[in-house]
Amino acid sequence: MIVTYNWIKEFVDCDLPAAELSHMLTMLGLEVERMEVVGGGMDDVVVAQVVEKNQHPNADKLSLCKVDNGSEIVNVVCGAQNFKAGDKVALAQIGATLPGDFKIKRSKIRGEESCGMLCSEKELALSAESSGIMILPENFVLGTPLFDALGTKDVVFEIGLTPNRADCLSVVGIAREVAAKLGKKVHYPGLEVKEEGAPVDSVAKVEILAPELCPRYTARHITGCTLADSPAWLANRLMAAGIRSINNIVDVTNYVLLEYGHPLHAFDYKLLAGGRIVVAAAGEGEKFTTLDGQERILTANDLTIRDGEKAVALAGIMGGGNSEIGEGTTEVLLESAYFNPSAIRKTSKRLGIHTESSHRFERGADVAGLTRALDRAAQLIAELSGGKVAKGVIDVYPAPVEPRVITARLSRINAVSGLNLSAAEVQDIFESLEFEVKQGEPGVFTVKVPLFRVDIEREIDLVEEVVRVNGFEKVPATLPQASVFSDLPSDAQRQAGRVKSLLVSHGLSEVINYSFVAPSSCEKIMLPADDFRSNGMVLLNPISDELSVMRTTMLPGLLDTAVKNISFRTLNLGIFEMRRIYLPVEGAELPEEPLYISALLTGRRDPEGWNQAKGDIDFFDVKGIAENLLADLNVGGVNYSVDELDPYYHPGKACRILSGKKALGSMGELHPTVQENYGISTPLYYLELNFEALLSARKKQGAAQVPSRFPSTFRDIAMLLPRELPVADIVSCVNGIKAPELEGVEIFDLYMGGNIAAHEKSVAVRVRYGSKEKTLTDEEVTRLHTKVTEALQKKLNVSFR
Amino acid sequence: MKDKLEALLEEALSELAQASTEEGLQELRVKYLGKKGALTGVMKGLGALSAEERPLVGQVVNTVKAKLEDALDARATEVREAVKAARLAGEKIDVTLPGRRQAMGSKHPITLVTEEISSIFGALGFAVAEGPEIELDFYNFEALNLPKDHPARDMQDTFYFGESVLLRTHTSPVQIRTMLKQPPPVRIIAPGTVYRCDSDATHSPMFHQVEGLMVDKGITFADLKGILTLFISQLFGKDIGVRLRPSFFPFTEPSAEVDIACVICRGKGCRVCKETGWLEILGAGMVDPEVYRHVGYDSEQYTGFAFGMGIERIAMLKYGIADMRLLFENDLRFLKQF
Repeated sequence: MIVTYNWIKEFVDCDLPAAELSHMLTMLGLEVERMEVVGGGMDDVVVAQVVEKNQHPNADKLSLCKVDNGSEIVNVVCGAQNFKAGDKVALAQIGATLPGDFKIKRSKIRGEESCGMLCSEKELALSAESSGIMILPENFVLGTPLFDALGTKDVVFEIGLTPNRADCLSVVGIAREVAAKLGKKVHYPGLEVKEEGAPVDSVAKVEILAPELCPRYTARHITGCTLADSPAWLANRLMAAGIRSINNIVDVTNYVLLEYGHPLHAFDYKLLAGGRIVVAAAGEGEKFTTLDGQERILTANDLTIRDGEKAVALAGIMGGGNSEIGEGTTEVLLESAYFNPSAIRKTSKRLGIHTESSHRFERGADVAGLTRALDRAAQLIAELSGGKVAKGVIDVYPAPVEPRVITARLSRINAVSGLNLSAAEVQDIFESLEFEVKQGEPGVFTVKVPLFRVDIEREIDLVEEVVRVNGFEKVPATLPQASVFSDLPSDAQRQAGRVKSLLVSHGLSEVINYSFVAPSSCEKIMLPADDFRSNGMVLLNPISDELSVMRTTMLPGLLDTAVKNISFRTLNLGIFEMRRIYLPVEGAELPEEPLYISALLTGRRDPEGWNQAKGDIDFFDVKGIAENLLADLNVGGVNYSVDELDPYYHPGKACRILSGKKALGSMGELHPTVQENYGISTPLYYLELNFEALLSARKKQGAAQVPSRFPSTFRDIAMLLPRELPVADIVSCVNGIKAPELEGVEIFDLYMGGNIAAHEKSVAVRVRYGSKEKTLTDEEVTRLHTKVTEALQKKLNVSFR
Repeated sequence: MKDKLEALLEEALSELAQASTEEGLQELRVKYLGKKGALTGVMKGLGALSAEERPLVGQVVNTVKAKLEDALDARATEVREAVKAARLAGEKIDVTLPGRRQAMGSKHPITLVTEEISSIFGALGFAVAEGPEIELDFYNFEALNLPKDHPARDMQDTFYFGESVLLRTHTSPVQIRTMLKQPPPVRIIAPGTVYRCDSDATHSPMFHQVEGLMVDKGITFADLKGILTLFISQLFGKDIGVRLRPSFFPFTEPSAEVDIACVICRGKGCRVCKETGWLEILGAGMVDPEVYRHVGYDSEQYTGFAFGMGIERIAMLKYGIADMRLLFENDLRFLKQF
C-alpha cells in the first residue's frame, strides 16, 4: 500500500517529521518498507512573474522576457507563446536540475542572455503532455519554490501490510491508525452529493441472484459527463501510488479506491442492455473478455455482473471490454458493492488475475462504508466531468450485517500480555480505534467493532489491539515462571552430531543438496525402472523439471556435487551428506523419511603437498571410515555381504553392511558406467548407512575392561591359502579358539603374484598372547600358538611358509 | 727415567690436541696405553729398576698414566660434542615448508548455526522435537488456523504432491504434532528443512527454520520478549539492540516480527538493512486459541508462545554471506571456510 503524507493529513492532524511518522507506523504493525520525498531537489524552480514580453531581436519564434523572481528582474529567452506579461510562471533558475538530469545554466540564445527557463508541466514531470509553459494561479507568491506553492511536495510511504489488515488498504485506514496512536480524531470530509437528475430507480435496476456471494450492491447514475484527462493533482496522486492515469472517470474510481479502500466500478450506462444490473453466477464455460483484452472461460462458481443480456464484469475483479468507459461515454453507472471474499479469491486465483480490486475484496471490504465511497466518487465525477448525479442511491441489501459485539476481560488482557493496564487505559485504546465500548461489571468490556475491522472477531483479537496500540516497546522483558524441567537432546540427536563430527575428522566436508532431484537421476545410477527407488514422490508444481522428484537415494545429489566441484578443479573430494530420503509407503498418505548418512570420495587420499603420500583413495579408505563410525556408535554384530549389491556398485569392489541379519547400508566403488554417466574420470567410492538402523543396532556400553599388568607376546604366522578364501575366515578361525590368553589377531601382510601361484595368496597374521595373572613363559605361548596353527591347518587347510 | 716419562706425556698431549676424530683418539689410546703402547713399555721396564727406584718411578708412571687417561677422556668428550654439533648443523631443515596433514573436513554453516541455536535453547530447557518434511495440509495449515482460501496462504507458496499432501512450508506443524502427543507443559524447539515454491537471490526453494514453542500456565507475551532477548544476546552478542513490532501470523496473536540492530552498520542504516538500521530475524507471538482448539488444550488455563526463524538468514548475518545461493551450491572452496 502506497500513501503520501499530504493525503494522510487531509484526514488527521499530524505534524510529526516524516521519519518519526514512518517509525510510528512500523511500530503499529504497518511496516514502512520505503520512504521517499517527492518534488524534492527542485527548490530552484520558483514562482515568477513575466514583467515584459518582447520579440527576440534575432529570432522570429522566440521572445525575450523580463521576469521577476521575487528578488530581482532577470532576462529569459522563451520559445513558447501561450503567455503574456503579468502571467505567473514557473522559472527554473540557474543551478536547477529538471527531471531527466537537465541542468539549467546561464546561456546566450541567438546573442541574447538567458538566466533560466520558463517551464512547461511536461518539463517538470507534472504531466505527460503539455502545450506551452505552465501558467500559475495569480495568488501564488513570487520566489516560493514551485512545489511548495503547488503543495505537491510530499512524502511517499510504501507500507508492507499483513493480510489481516484489509482496513489499512486505504488512506483513511492509515489515518485512523495515526489518529488512534496520537489520540486524535479522524475528520471525515462531509459528503454532499448534488443530486440533479431523474430518480435513479427510473434509469437503472439492480437485482442480486446470488446473495451469499454478493450481500450488498449499491449504485448511482451520472449523466452528461465529458470524458477528459484528469487534473494534475489527481493524476499525481495516482502516479505516486503506481496507478496510471486514464481519464477523469476511471481515475476517480481508482482515487476513491485508494482513499477509502473500497473498489468501485464505472460502467458506460449506454452499453448496459436495458439499463439493468444482475448479479449472478456465470454460466459453466461462458466466455468473457475482460478489460485487458483477454478472453476468460468462466465456471458456475465465478460471480459476474450482468446486464439484461450478457456479463459486463467479473465481479470484484475486473470489468469487461463491452461496457468500458471510453471515447463517447456520457452516462455512467457507478457500482459500489460487497462481494464474498472467498468467492473472489477462488476466481482470482483460478484465472490468475490479481487486481487492486480483487486484492481488497478477498481480504474483506467494509460492507457498511461502501455508500460513502459511492457518494465520494459520484461527487468527484460530477465535479470533474461536469455530469449530473441522478437522485437517490440504488441499495440492494437484503440482509444487513450487524457489527460484531465481543466481550473482553481486563484480566485476560494483562494475563496474556504481561502488562498491568488499568480499565481506563484499555477503554481509551478501544475508543481511539473507533470501537464502541461499554463496561458492565468492572474490568469486563463489551466492545462493538466497526465493520471495517474484519480482522477482529474474538477476545484475543482485542487483546492484540490493546498491546499493539499501547506499544510493543512498553511490554517488559521477563523470564517465564515455568515449572522446572529440561530434556536433554534425544540420543538420536546427540549421535547425529557425533556422526557429523566423526566424518569431518575423517576429512569429509558436509554438503546440502536439494531434497528434490531430476526424474532421470535413478536411471543415471543404473537403478532399473521397477526398483522401488525409481518411483519417488513427484511434485505437482516443481520449480523446474530438474527439481521435480523427491530423492529416494542420496547418491545422485552427491554425484552432482562431485561433478560441480571437479569442474572447479577440486579433484580430491571427500564429501558427506546426512539428510532424509523419501520413500513412498503403499497405502499410506505420507512416505517414510529415513535419515541417511552418505559419503562420496574420489582422487587422492591425502592433501596435495610436497611431503604428502601420493596414494589414491580405494575401497579400504571408505571401509575404514565405515568401521570407525560403526565402532564409535558401538554397533554390534557387524558383518559384510557381497550378495544383493545395488546395481550402481562395481560388482567386485562393494559390499552391504549388516548387523547380524539386519541391513545397515552399503559401500563400495561405483560402477564405471555410473562414473561415465556423470563424466567423472577417477573412480568414486560411496558409503550409505541408514541412521535409524544404526541406532537400533547399537550395543549397550559394557563395563570398562581393566588391561593386563603383564606384557603380551606376539607370534607371526605366514601362510598360503586359496585366493578366493576371505581373510575374514582366518580371523574368525583364530577368534573361535577358546583360550583366555589369546588376546587378538591382526592381518599385517597380504601378497599376491610374484612367486606365489596364481590361485593362491600369502597372508601374514600376528597373534597376541597374554594373561592377566602373569607373564606367559615361552613354553606356554608355544603351546597356545600350536593350537592356533593346527586350527588354521585343519579348518582352512592353509599351508605355512 | 722421570724426564723420559714427562717427555712422553708432553708428546702424547700434543698429539691428542691434534686428534679430531674418535678413531684418531682410539689410535692414540692404543699407541700410549695399549698392550704394546709406549707407557706400557715403560711400565714393563720397571722390573729392571732397583727396589728403591721402582716405587718412585712407578708413582710417576701412574701419575702420567692418569693424566693421559683424563686428557684422552676430556678430548673424547670434546670431539663427540663437536661431531654432534657438526651433525646437527647439517640436519637443519626449512621449517617454513608446510607440515604433513590429514585431510580435514568441515560442517555446513547451516549445521553449525543449527547446533548453536539448539545449544542456546537447550540451556534454557527446550527439548528438540522433529516432524516429517512431507506433511498433510491439516498439520501445515488447517490446525495452524490457515483454512483453505485464506489469503494468508499466499504468504507461503506451497509445493504439492496432491490435494492434501505437501512439502511443509514451515516448521510450525511440529508444534501441532507435539501438542497432540503430549499434554502441557511443553517447551520445545524444532529445527528442520522447509520448502517454498520460490527461487531467486534471496529465496531458495529449500531452506531451514527453527521453531520454538512454550506452553504452560501463566506464560505471557513479556516472557516471549524476555526469552528472545536472551537468545539474541547469546547468538549475536550482549549489546545488540532488539525490538518487537506488531505483525500477523494466523497461528499467533498477538504476533510480532523481531528485529535486531543491523549487525553491519550497527543501526546507522546501510544497504543490508535497507537504510532502516534494523534486520528482521524472526517471527513470534502468543499461540492463538484456535490452535489450542485443534490440539485439545484449554486456552483459558494455558497460554504460551511460539517463534520461528530462518537459519539461512542467521548464517548469512553471522558469516557475512551476501547471496543465499552460496549455501546450496556445495562448492567446497566455500564450505571449507567453516
